[in-house]
Amino acid sequence: MNDFTYPIPRRTFIRRAAVLAGSGALASMLPYRVYAADKVTLVNSIRSLSNPYHATWNQGGQAFANAIGADYVTLVTEGDSEKGIADIRAVLAKTGGNMVLNVDPNDSPDARPIVEACVKAGAYVVTQWNKPADLHPWDFNPYYVAHISFDGVRYGEETANALIKAIGGSGGIVALGGILSNTPAIERKAGLQKALDANPNVKLLDLQVANWKSSEAFNIVGSWLTRFGDQMKGIWAANDDMGTGALEALRAENLAGKIPITGIDGIKLAVEAVRAGEFAATVSWDPYWQGSMGLAIPYAAKTGKFESVKEPKSHREFYGTGSLVTKENADEFYKTHIESAPKIDFDDLWGRVTGQIRE
Amino acid sequence: MDPEVGRQSSNSGVSTPALREPERAKLRPRSLRRLRPFAPFVALVVLSLLVGALNPRFFEFNNVVRIANSAAIPLVLALGETFVIILGSVDLSVEGVLAVGAVVISLLVRNDSNANALGWTGAALAIAICAGIGCLSGLIHVQLRIPSFMATLGIWFVGVGMATLALGGSTVRVLDTNIRSLALTRLLEFPLAVWVALSALGLAWVFERFTRIGRYVYAIGGGEDLAVLSGIPVKRVKVVIFTLAGALYGLAGLLSAAQLGMGNALIGSGRLFFTITAVVVGGSALTGGEGGVLNTFIGVLIIAVLANGMVLLGISPYVQQAVQGLLIIVAVALSIDRARLKIVK
Amino acid sequence: MLSVKNVSKTFGVVQALDDVSLEINENEVVGLVGENGAGKSTLMRVLAGVYAPDRGSLQLGGKSIVFGSPTGANLNGIGIVFQEQSLLPNLSIAENIYLGQERQFVRLGLISRRRLNAAARRQLEKVHADFDPRTRTSELNFAARQMVELAKALALEERTDRHLVILLDEPTSMLEQRDIDILFARVRALRARASFVFVSHRLEEVLEISDRIYVMKDGRVVAHMPVADATVPQLHQLMVGRDRHAEYYRESRQHAPRAEVVMEASGLAVDGAYREIDFTLRKGEVLGIAGVIGSGREELTRTLFGFLPQTRGKLRVNGREVRLNSPSEAADIGIGYIPRERRVEGLVLPLSVAVNMTLASLQAVKIRGVISPKRERELAKRWVEKLHVRTPSVDTLCLQLSGGNQQKVVLSKWMNARSRILIFDHPTRGLDVGAKEEVYELIRDLSDDGIAIVLTADTLEETIGLCHSILAMRDGRVTARFDASPGSKPSQVDLIRHMV
Repeated sequence: MNDFTYPIPRRTFIRRAAVLAGSGALASMLPYRVYAADKVTLVNSIRSLSNPYHATWNQGGQAFANAIGADYVTLVTEGDSEKGIADIRAVLAKTGGNMVLNVDPNDSPDARPIVEACVKAGAYVVTQWNKPADLHPWDFNPYYVAHISFDGVRYGEETANALIKAIGGSGGIVALGGILSNTPAIERKAGLQKALDANPNVKLLDLQVANWKSSEAFNIVGSWLTRFGDQMKGIWAANDDMGTGALEALRAENLAGKIPITGIDGIKLAVEAVRAGEFAATVSWDPYWQGSMGLAIPYAAKTGKFESVKEPKSHREFYGTGSLVTKENADEFYKTHIESAPKIDFDDLWGRVTGQIRE
Repeated sequence: MDPEVGRQSSNSGVSTPALREPERAKLRPRSLRRLRPFAPFVALVVLSLLVGALNPRFFEFNNVVRIANSAAIPLVLALGETFVIILGSVDLSVEGVLAVGAVVISLLVRNDSNANALGWTGAALAIAICAGIGCLSGLIHVQLRIPSFMATLGIWFVGVGMATLALGGSTVRVLDTNIRSLALTRLLEFPLAVWVALSALGLAWVFERFTRIGRYVYAIGGGEDLAVLSGIPVKRVKVVIFTLAGALYGLAGLLSAAQLGMGNALIGSGRLFFTITAVVVGGSALTGGEGGVLNTFIGVLIIAVLANGMVLLGISPYVQQAVQGLLIIVAVALSIDRARLKIVK
Repeated sequence: MLSVKNVSKTFGVVQALDDVSLEINENEVVGLVGENGAGKSTLMRVLAGVYAPDRGSLQLGGKSIVFGSPTGANLNGIGIVFQEQSLLPNLSIAENIYLGQERQFVRLGLISRRRLNAAARRQLEKVHADFDPRTRTSELNFAARQMVELAKALALEERTDRHLVILLDEPTSMLEQRDIDILFARVRALRARASFVFVSHRLEEVLEISDRIYVMKDGRVVAHMPVADATVPQLHQLMVGRDRHAEYYRESRQHAPRAEVVMEASGLAVDGAYREIDFTLRKGEVLGIAGVIGSGREELTRTLFGFLPQTRGKLRVNGREVRLNSPSEAADIGIGYIPRERRVEGLVLPLSVAVNMTLASLQAVKIRGVISPKRERELAKRWVEKLHVRTPSVDTLCLQLSGGNQQKVVLSKWMNARSRILIFDHPTRGLDVGAKEEVYELIRDLSDDGIAIVLTADTLEETIGLCHSILAMRDGRVTARFDASPGSKPSQVDLIRHMV
């Protein structure tokens, strides 16, 4: 009487589960192109399209592909390293290596298998943001063309300085950090620390981790207001999402604009906040540039415009340029980068190199 | 007759039952077993006193308001999840449906990306759409006989996918002042969102205790075979509950859009863990048939107080995640009736 | 009034009911007896609307009627109190009584709990049960829940104009005597407002409470008589076609045990359960332990198989002193256990006969470290033959076998493992007469093989009939020892005197 068993035969169950899984996957897949063996395929591999940063990255890639008339494919990892690597392998196989890859790996260790797979297939690849420290493009000539990153330390420091300036050079500030084990979180925090070291009149009251999420930042700022009250003069956030969450928490207590906030990423909401005086600063990486030049550079190598092996190390592993957006240039930046697609000179390969990545 | 059991003459007027405890209960005194349902509440009180003792600012009225504010959205989500869990199922689609709700609302009310300005109608429409998605979860589970775990997992991703598709991955800013007022306007010092959440709690409680479907949820969770044999329309009840849950997640989406002033596909990211934790910590059994919305209310408060407390006490971020994980283990350990469970999987 | 006319019901290859006809009149108690597998439960479920007959029909007041579902049966005045209880443990008494029927208490969409509880109280009064209807049923003991189920069945009165028929499916098997008497008193009192169908293995009880009796065998009704004309031996005869007498326990096969001692207890005790237990057990001996609930005999039995290690005293097995901390330790030294709840503790029901038989002795069927299904099945076939297990094949799932055959599978599991000491815990509970006799034969076979048995039996009669020696226990101690060799067996009175 009380035994309860599912009477579905296993086969039916598996079939139904597969259908369900398939339709779930469909939601995250983008238009699927047939790969021509003769035409070059441009491939962007990113975490997801659900955030503005990568969405803009994708737009940049599409623009470059349109400009040169090549096939364009976007791969999303959805935070799953295995999926990311598997998808890349699949595309390499389908195109027979006649492709160019621009990848923002889900996690540092992923870069190695991806690079190795590309090298084996003869595809040219650029990695951005995450890679193991001992993996170097110059060890994989000519296919591993370059690694691009942005100096988290530098920009963490620059935004911190902007914040310190905004609070008048002294007082207590709080910091919202990203996921503890992420390289950008660590680097930006280090930059913040540098700024603090140089400004002894400024005290870090507390650092909390909001995991890059605005809803978590919202709750944390609420608790901080209880704990620190007036002592809290400014809020430093390691990215814009957390910064906007903090902003809304302030707004709910009628404090928006009274306590300056800084973020990093340069999303639209953040730039608007800078214009409105609610944010002191943010930094834009220009994901449009990342998505387009990240393809242009390896494409140039493939078409012989330059030879990887002949380029200096500062062109193989380099920091790109981020733009610090403050009250002074916010309006201008908004016009050129948010309201319209930035104009990128796809031929200017090395224009944004600011230096070789630290060893 | 069974002769070995001594024949005792009986008094046929005996009416009160001997409330005999099963053998094992000798191990724990009766009084302790009676207290078990109150354990979460006691935990909440103890936790609050502890935090308050170490940082008296915890008790400041403003802080109470902040805690309430941080608990509003989780409460609404957890209410929906509670009913599903009492049924004996589980709903993993929380983040996806919330995202759809927030995104649809942000596109329908006055925003910075199109010319719509549907106001409250838009909000109602969004919640209705989310209810529809919940209904879909329920139908897939009931009609296709796919376990709720899998059905709602799929709906989760479909939801996030739909939200991504709708916005092309970007974020939309909500400009409608009425919607924003849910977060920014206060009534008796508490933001309207808190009152909305409390109203939802009240309605959910009435639903649970005084409606037939509320009863049936427990019956199904306690013994589905029996429920079927008693003529209860089990399939219909399940679909209704999943639909209700979807509507509540949509409401949470509305509150999120109001709180953060924006809608995007990732707005619900990370909420699932706390939703289920709140339900379990509050004392509702994952196996179904036990617990209720008041339990969940306490569970949500425990989590909110803990989060607030850890910041007030300056606990290292490295430790906080471990504490949250520990919380769920301790909560379940204290609340399950281990005497009854011979086999643990 | 309620008639079953030529009903047949088949489940797959099993013909559960074969052209069964039955009459239930107003205000009477009809007893239904038969072996397991005779079709009693199936018939009850057909009457309750759980199953629909394949052929034949049910008639109410002379008119043909189809129930379609349990609710349909309810609306026609038929309620059933199941053998395995059917109350939801997480709901209150009132909620259980009115499960699915709450509409009458609904106003403006909301249930009035006050009216629900008041109505429940009225139903409970019918069975003289003074419980608070708001109590959760999980807090009640078995007997109390039985009363609630009865009240729930009686609540049907309010839903139908029909005469009430309440089906009681083995209601007494888990009850103590005092509660059985209460139940019977209620049934007698309620005869004025309902008819009852009483299904039970306990023939004496059926005789006590029924007005008429039907006997079923192999899916058919083989006899029907007023209770005055029925006696237990006669019923036995009808159920299995044989008399029950001394040879029932195969006393002629009881031979003296061998001299070698396989188990010895001295001063054995478990605090709170029993103490100062001494006994010796020899090869081929059947040792019986008699006692009422609370005498400590259940706990003693569990100690011998490692469920409840002793707190004091010594236990010696094959000369070595042991303290069994778990059943697997007991199994390792050659002790086997035939449990009373074989469905829960003896077999893995969804697995096949072959798998179950070799479960305790997988070493024997391994080839190079991997279980060989072929060997497993060969071994199983041998046991099926040896013990006459009635099963279509060794791959049949155990849940499809009848109780007696399941018991044999459990037995062969241990015999396969070459246990030399077997603990039998109520081995014939729930078995029909024919199956019981087979178990008794097996016990004699085992005894002849030199296997020692400790027996906790269902009835005193069984204990006396089967054992070589008997320990009587009361309040945790041994109060008497009896030699029970054939020809000088103690009487039941002798034993009872030392048990209560």
